[in-house]
Amino acid sequence: MRLKGDDRMLRKMPAALVLTAALAMSVPLWAHHAFQAEFDDKKPVHLVGKVTKMEWINPHAWIHIDVTESDGKVTSWMVECGSPNIMLRRGFTKESLEFGSEIVVEGYRAKNGSNRANGSSVTFKDGRRLFVGGSNPDIPAEFRQ
Amino acid sequence: MTRRCYAVCVIAIIITLAVPVLAQAPKTWVPPKTPWGDPDLQGIWPGNMGVPMQRPQNLGERTALTDEEFAQRVAQAKRQAEADGQSFAASDTRVGIGPPSYWTERGKPTRQTSLIIDPPDGRLPPLTPEAEKYRNEARGGKGLPGEWRGEADSYDDLNIYYRCITRGLLGSIIPVVYNNGNQILQAPGYVVFRNEMIHESRVIPLDGRGHVDSKIKMFMGDSRGHWEGNTLVVETTNFTDKDAIGSNGAGYPGDPGYHSEQLKIVERFTRVSENKLEYRATVIDEKTWTRPWTILIELERNDNYQVLEYACHEGNYAMEDILSGARAAEQK
Repeated sequence: MRLKGDDRMLRKMPAALVLTAALAMSVPLWAHHAFQAEFDDKKPVHLVGKVTKMEWINPHAWIHIDVTESDGKVTSWMVECGSPNIMLRRGFTKESLEFGSEIVVEGYRAKNGSNRANGSSVTFKDGRRLFVGGSNPDIPAEFRQ
Repeated sequence: MTRRCYAVCVIAIIITLAVPVLAQAPKTWVPPKTPWGDPDLQGIWPGNMGVPMQRPQNLGERTALTDEEFAQRVAQAKRQAEADGQSFAASDTRVGIGPPSYWTERGKPTRQTSLIIDPPDGRLPPLTPEAEKYRNEARGGKGLPGEWRGEADSYDDLNIYYRCITRGLLGSIIPVVYNNGNQILQAPGYVVFRNEMIHESRVIPLDGRGHVDSKIKMFMGDSRGHWEGNTLVVETTNFTDKDAIGSNGAGYPGDPGYHSEQLKIVERFTRVSENKLEYRATVIDEKTWTRPWTILIELERNDNYQVLEYACHEGNYAMEDILSGARAAEQK
């Protein structure tokens, strides 16, 4: 999980607020499997590719893309996403990502060296977000975007 | 004052005193009944991920946050929701390797300070010396499956949650980062309790029959239920010791972890209002913990929540990637 901006926030927070933040963060936030064991934090990837397939499978969905490299060679990659259940609850449906759409992925490559990566950040080429947060049914309406 | 007037005054005073007392008396909400007369607990009751398993020590025996602390928790949740919305938008920032925010549920802030309500400090009781030794010496000191933090030599180094088998009885109800759906269905003589992750359904007989033979051991145990007033009480035994109780159903550091085959879990389901169900579970395993401990999960009814299938084994690329990643690391 990313905690972008949290260092800055923590410095500004009074002690009581830090306590609350600690309470909230003490809830385990790891997902189904060990990220550190599956992906290599020394191998960041930046991929721009066209969607060829999406696997709506548990425990995690996978987007397949074809990446055209500068020499014209086309390489197929797989990008790991959240579980289909939570993606559906966040409003992501099979219509959200069309075959042939071009997406930009920031992530880390699998430790085994294969063309698989986690999709830490996934956007369309024009900058639109692929996954829109905040529609989580467990978040009260006043917190939704 | 005439005698009659005195009597009227006394009655008036009694009524005046009695009315506020009656008004203050706790109203006991009576749950609806099924057509065959059992309290009706049926519905979708998703878990809420907003409460930590163990209470921060500085809160002592306090079970609820103060108004100020609660307001801070709400503000924190709001900030988190905003950060979740932004954190994967920018493509020029360095991304973290952990699960991205769009994968997770954060839960709704509540006042409850910890899921553990007994012992009164909201913390797990100490392990017995026997359990401590068992955990430390397991598998030649590597620790039980899932506690091993080195490279995985085999699927056996990973716990049964990673392996898409189960989160066990208690793990399946403890709210986690996603897929916290729970459903209760009733039929004459039975209650069915279904958990979305990982795909568990217990069909619990209420007819007083005994447990299966003690030689039969199961991840979800063998459950028998009965009614105590409007509370459904379920006692479960016949557990395997191959499973861990965890906030993640796994056995991570800080979680309750592995138990013995002697484990007994007593669950109490009480519907306290139309849309609220209190779930209590007492964990009794004197071979593992020095005293029993109890959790309380407040479940809120949401019939719009769809409990979706979570058959994860077939799509578990992570297992392959973790093991092949470890082999690739060995080649270096």
